[in-house]
Amino acid sequence: MDSISIKVLFFGKARDLVGVGQKDVDILHSNLKANEFLEIIISKFPRLEEIKSSTKLSLNEEYVEMNDVLSLKSGDEIAVIPPISGG
Amino acid sequence: MAHNLTNSEIERYSRQLIIPDYGIESQNKLKSSSILIIGCGGLGCPSALYLSTAGIGRLGLVDDDTIEISNIHRQIAHDENKIGISKAQNLADRCKALNSLVKYEVHNILFTKTTALNLIEQYPFLFLSIYCTDNVITRYLINDVCVLLGKPLVSGSALKFEGQLTVYNYLNGPCYRCLYPTAPPAHAVSNCSDAGILGPIVGMIGSLQALEAIKVVAEIGTCLNGRMMIFDGFDFLTRIIKLRPRQIETCLMCKSVLSRENLTKKDREEILENFDYIEFCGVSNYNDKSINISILSDKKRINCSDYKNFTESHLLIDVRPKCQFNICSLPNSLNIPFDDFVYNEEKVVENIRDKLGNEKSIFLVCRRGNDSQLAVEILEKHFNDKEIKDLIGGLQTWSKEIEPDFPKY
Ligand SMILES: [Zn+2]
Repeated sequence: MDSISIKVLFFGKARDLVGVGQKDVDILHSNLKANEFLEIIISKFPRLEEIKSSTKLSLNEEYVEMNDVLSLKSGDEIAVIPPISGG
Repeated sequence: MAHNLTNSEIERYSRQLIIPDYGIESQNKLKSSSILIIGCGGLGCPSALYLSTAGIGRLGLVDDDTIEISNIHRQIAHDENKIGISKAQNLADRCKALNSLVKYEVHNILFTKTTALNLIEQYPFLFLSIYCTDNVITRYLINDVCVLLGKPLVSGSALKFEGQLTVYNYLNGPCYRCLYPTAPPAHAVSNCSDAGILGPIVGMIGSLQALEAIKVVAEIGTCLNGRMMIFDGFDFLTRIIKLRPRQIETCLMCKSVLSRENLTKKDREEILENFDYIEFCGVSNYNDKSINISILSDKKRINCSDYKNFTESHLLIDVRPKCQFNICSLPNSLNIPFDDFVYNEEKVVENIRDKLGNEKSIFLVCRRGNDSQLAVEILEKHFNDKEIKDLIGGLQTWSKEIEPDFPKY
């Protein structure tokens, strides 16, 4: 089976930890939970472990809960959005 | 239609009155509304200026801080001849110069459980803009009080090149706690004085907060309740993320409000009193200044004047990020950012072993003397025959006590 290419955006602290704002990530299965997807990107960018407990994920501009099963297809966009609080 | 605007108000607000979707009805509602702005910094300045010129009836301004020179690049209502003056007072003065028809109220206070409830109660609409703060307690506290009082909260935040904007607790939209039921760990949240912030970013988010506040008050358009705008000014990217609706089952505050009819003042006080914010947030106080920690015993530390008089040859390592090291550094210091200690420990140790030669002492320095202590703990494991100490208070103290010409930032 072909891999599925997901566009991942990193905001706030996640961007600092990864070093770039955007990366394409290939996954093998289309059906997985949001927290499983987070584990996949943490395995590629281990420093993201730091924000694992506080970050939110969105799929195609819609927030998802960590227990939600995502049904992903190539070209989908997932954003990693930790809270920010300056101003 | 009937309205209560004077001729001079009609003339003053004419350019917004003639927008068909705004009109005199909206102006009327603005005139009879009050807004409280919490935080008179980078976000609070533009939002207060615009709400004032737009003709809000009454504007409350909250901040317990005073103006510093390092605020001015982004806090555009504060001038360089007002250093040391109350931010709330100065912002009120600037607004008054733009529109004297508005009633201004200055609150030079720190938010605590009691002050928050009493103050927010006096304002039908609330408009939040927390200034540079890593203080999660204040964020949750303001949110909770708004939920208990049923007031919408226009929330903005900004850091580096990024901003976030949303309207909490409005219509069926979630509150801050619905979205973030557990507080982020303190180390995962950065503040402006440590991470930095660019003026136009807060300028934009603060202006948009004023826009959302006007729409909430005038009941026009489509607000950002239930959605969050995320703006990345570095790559110029905007995303509007759809949020889940209010979490009646799981959100502690929304649940307690909706499960009971007509909360009394006493009920609210009780709910707030029973919630341990300090434990929930894992931080020690309501103040949001960067604090100095002390984890090493005294014999593993050296103060600035003893270091100045230390004449033996040694290795001095500066653990600040490279971009701060480039601003200023002590002569002969070697820059190894603290991040490298954490993520590349082996390489760092190898590098230090290389540079160390026969030196008997290693000193570590950073901006305030926090990371340098953590770096001492890491190096101790690898160099147990060396004297390893951190410079107490870091370069800030060095600049204050030893070398006044050393740059402050
Ligand atoms: Zn809630």
